[in-house]
Amino acid sequence: MNDYLDLDILWKVLVTGLAGGAGLVAVYALGLAGLSAAAGRRPGGHRLPGLLLAGTCFLIVAAGVGMGLYLMLSR
Amino acid sequence: MYTGSLLLSVVVTTALAFAFTNGFHDTANAMATSIVTGALRPHSAVALAAILNFLGAFLSLQVAATIAQGIVDAGAITLTVIFAGLVGGMVWNLVTWYLGMPTSSSHALIGGVVGAAFIAAGASAVKGHGLLTKVLIPALLSPLAAGLVAVVGTSLVYLITRNVPERIRDRGFRVGQIGSASLVSLAHGTNDAQTTMGVVTLALIVDHTIGETASTPTWVVMSSAAALALGTYVGGWRIIRTVGKGLTEIRNPQGFSAESASAALILAASHQGFPLSTTQVCCGSIVGAGTGRRPAGVRWGMVARLVALWLITLPAAALVGAAAWLGARLIGGVQGVAVVFVMALIIALELYVAADLKPVNASNVNAVWRSKPEPSSDDTEATPTEGPTS
Repeated sequence: MNDYLDLDILWKVLVTGLAGGAGLVAVYALGLAGLSAAAGRRPGGHRLPGLLLAGTCFLIVAAGVGMGLYLMLSR
Repeated sequence: MYTGSLLLSVVVTTALAFAFTNGFHDTANAMATSIVTGALRPHSAVALAAILNFLGAFLSLQVAATIAQGIVDAGAITLTVIFAGLVGGMVWNLVTWYLGMPTSSSHALIGGVVGAAFIAAGASAVKGHGLLTKVLIPALLSPLAAGLVAVVGTSLVYLITRNVPERIRDRGFRVGQIGSASLVSLAHGTNDAQTTMGVVTLALIVDHTIGETASTPTWVVMSSAAALALGTYVGGWRIIRTVGKGLTEIRNPQGFSAESASAALILAASHQGFPLSTTQVCCGSIVGAGTGRRPAGVRWGMVARLVALWLITLPAAALVGAAAWLGARLIGGVQGVAVVFVMALIIALELYVAADLKPVNASNVNAVWRSKPEPSSDDTEATPTEGPTS
């Protein structure tokens, strides 16, 4: 690209950073929201969907972290 | 070869001493947020960081011997230049530790080597283009990128969990925070232990103790990792306090989003080979996390002082590096290097004694931060329903 700045790399770093640093963070927060729905007082309320949401979110986060570590090591 | 190996041992000792300062300087990057939010007790936090730093050092051994490559002409690198560069980096690390300011250890080292090479071999030994593209431009961009990611992450976190009861929210973000801080520690160990390994390997190559294409000897890996981890365990409490309480008063959700932003950027950048400073990324993330919740909660005066110190890190370390090289040269030979080494130790001791007059340690690291100008006594409001500020 440019002699002083590899814009291509910069964009990749920024997009990966946003996906991992803000995206996964939001997914984790969504998982907590799921947990709180599951723990709600109302009988029969949102227990199962809440737990499902939380489980899915935490799995996505774990997978993301694993991928991050793998990428760093496979350089 | 007696004097030769003596010189080499002084250089290696200095490199390990530098790694030690690197360690305690950077404890804050990973652990300041967990310490001030109480997610981890101070001693547990530094112990965890030290262990992960040590392990991280063994994860990847590819960088070796690339420090200052493309920035300083390889022909200008002698043992004395490496030594003087290390002294420059170490002394600047100690001065900024005394001031309690998180500055980049790798910039300090590069500054020291550039200064020493400049005075030893002239201006032509320093490659301006390499310095610009590998150090200065990334230094400008990485804290901004980290800040941006953390602002977005923090806003989303507060938005998504605004109706989550405090009990679940606090617990969840504590766990998340410890996890993301651990990732930062691990990545820090991988990146920064390699800096020291690279320097020691370079010294061994320059000294012809090992061949140019040789891989890093195991004892170098072990000792570099141990020096870094030991420094991390000692903990730069002054810096931890500034990072966790001085820039902004960090809370659990912010600590989580800040450390996640740092971890994601450091991992992404090291995968792409984009050279960024862990310290600058972490500070950028923390300021971003502060801004994402409430811009007025950030002590912008403190941020400005920090940025000013970042700007002078390279030239200041270069000055010390140049002075160390001149001193060693004027006295001459191994004696010169030994005298400069002892002088650096004396400076270190004086700074330690000066710091001890107003000590910051595990017991008072979380004390209330008193600053006159900013009206940010936000210890009273902690409502879980608070959304992101516009």
